[in-house]
Amino acid sequence: MKTRIDSVEEITRSFAGQGYICSEQIALAIYLAAQLHKPVLVEGPPGVGKTELAKAAAAFLEAPLIRLQCYEGLDESRALYEWKYGKQLLYTQLLRDKLGGMLADTDSLEASMERLGDLGEAFYSDTFLEPRPLLHALRSDEPAVLLIDEIDKADQEFEAFLLELLSDFQISIPELGTVKAKHQPLVLLTSNDQRELSDALKRRCLHLYIPYPAAELEAQIVATRVPDLDARLREQLVAFIQHLREQDMKKLPAISETLDWARALVLLHADSLEHAQVADTLNLVLKTEQDVTLARELLPAWLRKLGKR
Amino acid sequence: MPTRRLSEFVQALRGAGLRISPDEAGQAMDAAALVGYARRQRFHDALAVTLVKQQQDRPPFEETFARFFEAEDSRVDPSGDMEPAMPAPAADPASAQTPEEQQAEALLASTPEQLQQRMAEAAAEMDFTQMEVITQQGLYSRRLLMNMGMGAVDDRVLQLDQGNPSQQARAEQLRQWRARVREQAAGQVRRQFLLHGAGKGRALREQTLRAVPFRDLREFRDVQALVRKMARRLASLHQRRMKTSRRGMLDARRTMVASIRHDGVPAKLFWRRRPPRKTRVMVICDVSSSVSDAARFLLQFLYAMNDVLPRVRSFAFASRFDEITDDFSRYSPEVAVGQVLDRLSGSGTDYAEMFRAFQARCERELDAHTTVIILGDARNNYLPDGAETLQAISRRVKQVWWLNPESRGRWNSGDAVMDRYLPHCRLARQCATLNDLERVVDSLLGALD
Repeated sequence: MKTRIDSVEEITRSFAGQGYICSEQIALAIYLAAQLHKPVLVEGPPGVGKTELAKAAAAFLEAPLIRLQCYEGLDESRALYEWKYGKQLLYTQLLRDKLGGMLADTDSLEASMERLGDLGEAFYSDTFLEPRPLLHALRSDEPAVLLIDEIDKADQEFEAFLLELLSDFQISIPELGTVKAKHQPLVLLTSNDQRELSDALKRRCLHLYIPYPAAELEAQIVATRVPDLDARLREQLVAFIQHLREQDMKKLPAISETLDWARALVLLHADSLEHAQVADTLNLVLKTEQDVTLARELLPAWLRKLGKR
Repeated sequence: MPTRRLSEFVQALRGAGLRISPDEAGQAMDAAALVGYARRQRFHDALAVTLVKQQQDRPPFEETFARFFEAEDSRVDPSGDMEPAMPAPAADPASAQTPEEQQAEALLASTPEQLQQRMAEAAAEMDFTQMEVITQQGLYSRRLLMNMGMGAVDDRVLQLDQGNPSQQARAEQLRQWRARVREQAAGQVRRQFLLHGAGKGRALREQTLRAVPFRDLREFRDVQALVRKMARRLASLHQRRMKTSRRGMLDARRTMVASIRHDGVPAKLFWRRRPPRKTRVMVICDVSSSVSDAARFLLQFLYAMNDVLPRVRSFAFASRFDEITDDFSRYSPEVAVGQVLDRLSGSGTDYAEMFRAFQARCERELDAHTTVIILGDARNNYLPDGAETLQAISRRVKQVWWLNPESRGRWNSGDAVMDRYLPHCRLARQCATLNDLERVVDSLLGALD
């Protein structure tokens, strides 16, 4: 992992090199997180590039990205570690004879117990431990970027369980003791604001809110990701998307949808939004029938207004 | 920028309602030290990343940041256009004999810039963080003037007043100058109050608001915000409770299937989830003039908790009875309440008629999952009370609650007939302040599970 980050600009440049165009706030948050060794909680509407940010950060820091997707009912055994019960059982079956032989010369139950006790540790050792993403991140030989995706989907108990990791980069496992991170990972948590996260969690994290991008930034993103799109059409497209975001939509279009649409328009060889087929591609941008209908009605009026200007 | 300014800023943010722990304040300082102060926007962003943890805190943060560091700038740069230049009266150092007089003349001789510098120094020595209420401003500006050494000028004015006419003319001149300096000091103190005192004042005010009877509450601003805040807090508390109480019986099938892996040892237990509850809440509000204020807040409160109380149907009556659920689903509570009051309010409540109308409209939906809440003063204008209809309703539903905005002692005075209704209510409470309301809704949520 890269240990020295000279400036915020370095991050912005590196991100741009990877095709991730971001505002200065975003780069600053990553800079502070890396320098202060604090986790970052990234919030914002879906599709603004929260997960992409983690990938870009990992690439920039030249660190492996370890991802933990959260969902309702996620517990420690899925997130942290699990004992390989099956393997343990198999081993005891296979070693039965061997164990019998070992215990053969003991004469009392107590003596057998004692001898077994010495062996007991072997069954709760690394051989039988199945590390899950969090433990991976802590035991990784090089510092990693740990992405805990959509933390708002996990239960509140899990959130509480994460607190130790987030503040001290360590986790207590009853059978093994406390596992401390070999190298402090850069932790990014994302949330879609499905539910309010606890104050305790927020307190331990830096907070970054990624809003829908402003027109200028969005145009820049489209230009980088879909370079084949005609410049005039790009302006038009971004302006229309921005216009849509001001409407009362069920689901507002995000950057990912803008990009999908831009790519579709390139395939259609469209040169402006007046193109006949454009209205038919609106369902790439909007995901519910109601929104598409509304946008279809809006488009001609908006184009007329644009023409007048 | 010294750490002291930053910690004052954190204090000001706390005053604006943000919750900032000492640890977070420490992070903010580390971050600020890392990015430096030279680039204002970046400094601002670094503080935002470390101190603002939820979007609703953003506007107060921006406001406080602008005010705080604007004051900071004007302090660093006294020639800024904050105050109009102040023509200094002609100083007359030759006339000063005692040290006090010399001090006064020195102050008088200072240029406007020097004077502001002096005031800034005097202010920096004072601790403005203890200001609590707006009336303390006078006291603090007097202290500020004393710290600047204006006492000597006061003495000088008095002394000159005793002298010959030319000296008296000069005293008049000094008085005018002094008045302007006082104004400036008051301005300085006002800014400090906004930063430090306003927050404590807010906490004090919130306490007061919670205990004020509803009918006086409408006079206050930001009550809406407080109601929303209280409702949010309660909602998040109960969301959690709901979750933990949702675990049901052991799921034997899944537990057995999982145990096959472990040679029949049930190493992991699975639980059934309880089906989501089907509770329904129906609220009937008296919106006649005497009770309408309480109704307004009850409805606002209930609709602000939409996510934990999803199925609320509301009705209102005064001279007429009508369902008002639609008004609330379509408009924001503030607007809806106004509309309903316009449509239905009037005098002459008839509870018996209301019970009948309610029964006729909703009888089919009244079942063992329904809670009926009635808000009213039970003042029936000496009409028949209709308690038997209430009894019929009460038998069909899970529970009937009665909230009365009047104090218990007046529940049966005059034309009020609470006694007739009480036997059919599982619970009857006084509900006259926001505190009462919070308690009622809290126990309501508990009773629904």
